[in-house]
Amino acid sequence: MLVEVTFLTRRGRDAIMRKSQSVTCEELKFGRGSDNEVQLADIRIGLSAAVLVRREHDFVFQQSGDTVLKVDGSTGASLVVRPGDRVELGPYEVRLTEAPEGFDAALTVELVQPLGDSLQRLAAANRIGLDKTGFSKRRMSWTFFWVCVLGCLVVPLVAFGIDNGQSWLKAGAPTTLLTLANMTWNVGELSNTHRTFAHQCAMCHETSFSRVPDSACLDCHRNIGGHVQPAVAPAGAAAAASPASPAHRLAQTPCGDCHREHRGLRGLVRQDANLCVSCHGSIAETAPQFDVRDVSGFPAGHPQFRVTVVADAAKPAFARAELGSTPKPADRPNLKFSHAAHLVEKGFLTPQGQKRMVCADCHVPEPGGQGFMPITYKGQCQSCHDLKFDAELPWREVPHGDDLGVRAAVEDFYAHVVLQRGVPPSAPPAEPARRVPGAPVATPAPAPKPDALTWAREKADEALTLIYNDKRGCAYCHVMENAADHRVAPVFMRTRFLPNASFNHARHAATDCADCHDSRHSETSADVLVPGIDSCTGCHGPARASFRAQSQCVTCHAFHRPDFGPMRRTAAVSP
Amino acid sequence: MVHAASKPPGEASAPAPDTQHQSFLVYDRLLYLKIAVAATIVAIVLYLAHRPDGTPYGGTWLGYGLGTVGALLILWLMWFGYRKRSYTANQGKLEAWLSAHVYLGLSLLVIATLHTGFHFGWNIHTLAYALMCVVILSGACGVFFYVYCPPLMTQNRRGATMTQMMTRIAALNDEITSKAMGLDNATVAILRRSTETTIVGGSFWQQLAGHYPDCTTAAALKAMTKIGTADGARADALRQIRMLLDEKAQLLGRARRDLGYKAMMDAWLYVHVPLSFGLLAALFAHVLSVFIFW
Repeated sequence: MLVEVTFLTRRGRDAIMRKSQSVTCEELKFGRGSDNEVQLADIRIGLSAAVLVRREHDFVFQQSGDTVLKVDGSTGASLVVRPGDRVELGPYEVRLTEAPEGFDAALTVELVQPLGDSLQRLAAANRIGLDKTGFSKRRMSWTFFWVCVLGCLVVPLVAFGIDNGQSWLKAGAPTTLLTLANMTWNVGELSNTHRTFAHQCAMCHETSFSRVPDSACLDCHRNIGGHVQPAVAPAGAAAAASPASPAHRLAQTPCGDCHREHRGLRGLVRQDANLCVSCHGSIAETAPQFDVRDVSGFPAGHPQFRVTVVADAAKPAFARAELGSTPKPADRPNLKFSHAAHLVEKGFLTPQGQKRMVCADCHVPEPGGQGFMPITYKGQCQSCHDLKFDAELPWREVPHGDDLGVRAAVEDFYAHVVLQRGVPPSAPPAEPARRVPGAPVATPAPAPKPDALTWAREKADEALTLIYNDKRGCAYCHVMENAADHRVAPVFMRTRFLPNASFNHARHAATDCADCHDSRHSETSADVLVPGIDSCTGCHGPARASFRAQSQCVTCHAFHRPDFGPMRRTAAVSP
Repeated sequence: MVHAASKPPGEASAPAPDTQHQSFLVYDRLLYLKIAVAATIVAIVLYLAHRPDGTPYGGTWLGYGLGTVGALLILWLMWFGYRKRSYTANQGKLEAWLSAHVYLGLSLLVIATLHTGFHFGWNIHTLAYALMCVVILSGACGVFFYVYCPPLMTQNRRGATMTQMMTRIAALNDEITSKAMGLDNATVAILRRSTETTIVGGSFWQQLAGHYPDCTTAAALKAMTKIGTADGARADALRQIRMLLDEKAQLLGRARRDLGYKAMMDAWLYVHVPLSFGLLAALFAHVLSVFIFW
């Protein structure tokens, strides 16, 4: 058959170039290979793609390779085509047209899906550069910014508003997400005692953008002790004082200046000496009414200790005296006690046998170990110094610490004796006087027999004299107020001679008592056996000491003194 | 030193002539390195000399001071992002800004750490610090890649640009297509995959790692090697195609390595920039929360 094959090439929108050729063949083969009558130079076409054959009056397209064959949209291995039909063969379009005269068939071939520019295809198929991979720095930046705003600002603020309405002491309240969100603003761990309301910020932070007010502290700590004696600095006086005065400064100092929260388990109390020294460095000059000496540090800058001793046990009245001063500080508890006499190296005979006394026999530690239990007659003295007064009835003792009771007990005792036994016979008559030779024998007059009451009183007086004497009686240990009336002077024994400082004996238990207290050479109870500052500085050094125990003001001194009344008196005037 | 530090970046001293390239790391004879080292030493000395009650933390006078310096540094360092897009002449040389950005940014790591007093917790304050550390460390990675990659890129490109390499790869595809016209369909199918799905870039991680296990060109080259002997024109075509594929494979390797180096120089910015904005928000929350609960 004779076929006219026309190749169409479009140039622009309307221009079409036509290139025709006549092909004489039995069947018209289409394909990429050079043996095809219609060679289609495109890599997407198989070597042999299709064949056009004539069957009687029809033309049939037969698929001869992998290239897909479609006729007017229908696919198949063998398809009949008529003039006007559109045949798709890969990227080519073949149309059967009316055959010109002398030809059996005619068709046009056009590449309708050209490959295009290979560089463009390569660039289009690949993502060159990270900015083409879908990641956008701008978008990521905004996303992260708003995530952080939400997580760091919005959520904690909302949680703060919601969670602070809860009761912080609610038993078994679980830790919720709200609680955790609230805690994200926490600048540091709270002290151990405040952790129960750690997530309740408003418990302390009553208002925003301002420091924690004293009222927030005093709501709970309403009975916290003050720092100055009300008698010296009455409430309200501080506000009226000069702004430079320590009292005024103290009144203006908020709790938060000394108590720093969110510092972890180490606690709230500021330890640095500057806090105290800022006032106490010149307090003797700025506030002489307090009778407090200047302290600029420790150990250098700290004066010798001043003890508080009993000046008059009857009132009682006290005096302050510096250790090592002349005359020596003297305690006057109205007792006569010799440590030396009791701490005899070899010991001595006691009702319980031979005994060598040690400090702990009398000085019993307090349960907390801070100091010692008060010395009492019953606790420390009675076992050796009993109060018996009659050898015939040695189980009878007079009461201790009650002069009227002593007299009553003794008188009652002898009245009881005379009632039970009657008045005992008088003493045998005195030896008769030597008779003068020749003189009549003198008949002795009978001794008058006392009545029972007189006898009892006489015996009681004898016994009281014995009881109160200074050999073995009360006056042996006690100062007598009136010896004739058998009245013992009131006793006042201090348990602490340094009331403005605290010393924990339990923490120093490894140290022998005699290392600090020279009691073996103390003959009188007037001796003050409290050691001086030198005993401390051997082990205790300044705040940054490397080879001694680091010691701050608050190591020994307490700021809040319950004995000075509540702190509110001074705090109340602060703004 | 103090006099120079008071000047804005780029006006510190007489700059080197613009005709000669100068690395931002040695800009103006390491001026900003010296400033950063001096600031760091001052901060460390103050920290060691400072004797607060207990351990140092952000709430002491030194803590507030270091925190203020650190916050202002963060804002200034972030301003560099605006500055490098601004081409006005009145803001100093960009090299000076970059040099100061790098060295002062590194000093911020020390200043902010001392501000914390080494107190960390599960809170936004530590989050802000952690973000700052990641931002600075990512920036340090950026500096490393900016120093490490360019010589390797130059060496790898051998004088060609990426566009030139891509053009040559496209031309090779065309040549391979042309040479494959007379080959059998199976061979052509392999070669078509090679030419039509030539992978150069790819995903974020692919570009960064330079790992292309599904490379169609490598597969085609392998297949061509296995085809064995042929005769006549087919043998000649196959030989030529093998040569073209080999050249294309080498070129692809160079192009992919080039993209890998470029990705290294860009990837750190995907951490540095977004986290900087996160840090800005966290820093604001940190300061605000501290003063709300003063």
